[in-house]
Amino acid sequence: MTHGPVCITCGDVAVPMRVVATGGEDGLAHCVTEEGDAAQVDVALVDDVAVGDAVLVHACVAIQRLEREAA
Amino acid sequence: MKYVDEYRDAELGRALSTEIAAAVEPGRHYKIMEVCGGHTHAIYKYGIDDLLPPNVELVHGPGCPVCVIPMGRVDDGIALAREPGVIFTCFGDMLRIPGSSESLQDAKAGGADVRMVYSPLDALRIARSEPDRHVVFFAIGFETTAPSTALTLKRAKAEGIENFSVMCSHVTIVPPLKALLESPDLRLDGFVGPGHVATIVGARPFEFIPADYGKPVVISGFEPLDVLQSILMILRQIGSGDARVENQYKRVVPHEGNQRALEALAEVFVLRPHFEWRGLGFISQSALALSEAYAEFDSERRFVVPGVRVADPKACQCGEVLKGVIKPWECKVFGTACTPEHAIGTCMVSPEGACAAYYNYGRFAREKQVV
Repeated sequence: MTHGPVCITCGDVAVPMRVVATGGEDGLAHCVTEEGDAAQVDVALVDDVAVGDAVLVHACVAIQRLEREAA
Repeated sequence: MKYVDEYRDAELGRALSTEIAAAVEPGRHYKIMEVCGGHTHAIYKYGIDDLLPPNVELVHGPGCPVCVIPMGRVDDGIALAREPGVIFTCFGDMLRIPGSSESLQDAKAGGADVRMVYSPLDALRIARSEPDRHVVFFAIGFETTAPSTALTLKRAKAEGIENFSVMCSHVTIVPPLKALLESPDLRLDGFVGPGHVATIVGARPFEFIPADYGKPVVISGFEPLDVLQSILMILRQIGSGDARVENQYKRVVPHEGNQRALEALAEVFVLRPHFEWRGLGFISQSALALSEAYAEFDSERRFVVPGVRVADPKACQCGEVLKGVIKPWECKVFGTACTPEHAIGTCMVSPEGACAAYYNYGRFAREKQVV
């Protein structure tokens, strides 16, 4: 996952990502950004994550689901 | 990009700028602190301060987790990195933070096995693949980042991994805000609240600011229109004589925060009695340590950590920058002895540091003003 010049610890890099596969290595979800950057993301903090959902990812952990209607 | 482009519309930005100009009382000076380094970065990157009337001043807060790590803590990390058999992992920005005599990057050049990771999960992955070595993760960050460390430790415990530990330097946002509000040399009128910390902890922990200090807080997103709208909401609260916590970032921040994350934090961490912040000194109950249940994963219990205390370099005024008492360019060494390439202070190292953000985006505007 690339973050440009931005520090990863900062709230600024909670990145919107799309879930493309669940149940991967160690139960992590495979997620991609719109630019195509991919990461294995822990989705344990978000309820019932399914393929196609948009989530906000910080340090490879999904901290919130992004609701379509709210975007 | 969805979720992003609609918050960068220039026309809407100008409209908000006009509304902000109409919301201020002429002759009154407004000091608004953006708590989070992500907001500082957005303000400089998008030139948000240029869209504000001259009597609305933005003050940069202590919300850059790299910037608040004291030198002694870096020295402790370097001591651990030098332990035989240790692989020391950290986020990229920690590599360049100066300790009293060198940085982690220098230690790496000197032979220590220091590796950059994007997530503590990466550090755990290294531990699994190198069972003969011990992997230390230097955990820094506010409540946004602490859940990733908590989830990683829960995994490590469930898997019975024995060659992984965490040097926990996670910090919490409320105690330094309290310290700033108590500080006599700083008069603030309101706060742009940290959107992603609030995603985890919710809005409630910020309610003491209006209740006890009578200052508005608006929890804000990180796009330019988010920040402008939040500033407008703060000014309107001030104008109506009101002070409360408002949530501008409703599309992401639930009022109650993320319960699962809070449960994970409560399981894995306890509050430290006190922790040293760069420039702010010791603040009680402002940082996290591992709980008894996770003691076996605590680097500070597994190794002898020197516990170094080092005074900040005399020339460096990061403390005053972090408290919002001086602007980055008012520091004696800004842009001369201290640059992102050769930083003396932490605020110049991290891109979210007020000094680096100003150096990268704002210094030309400042030169223009001076001329």
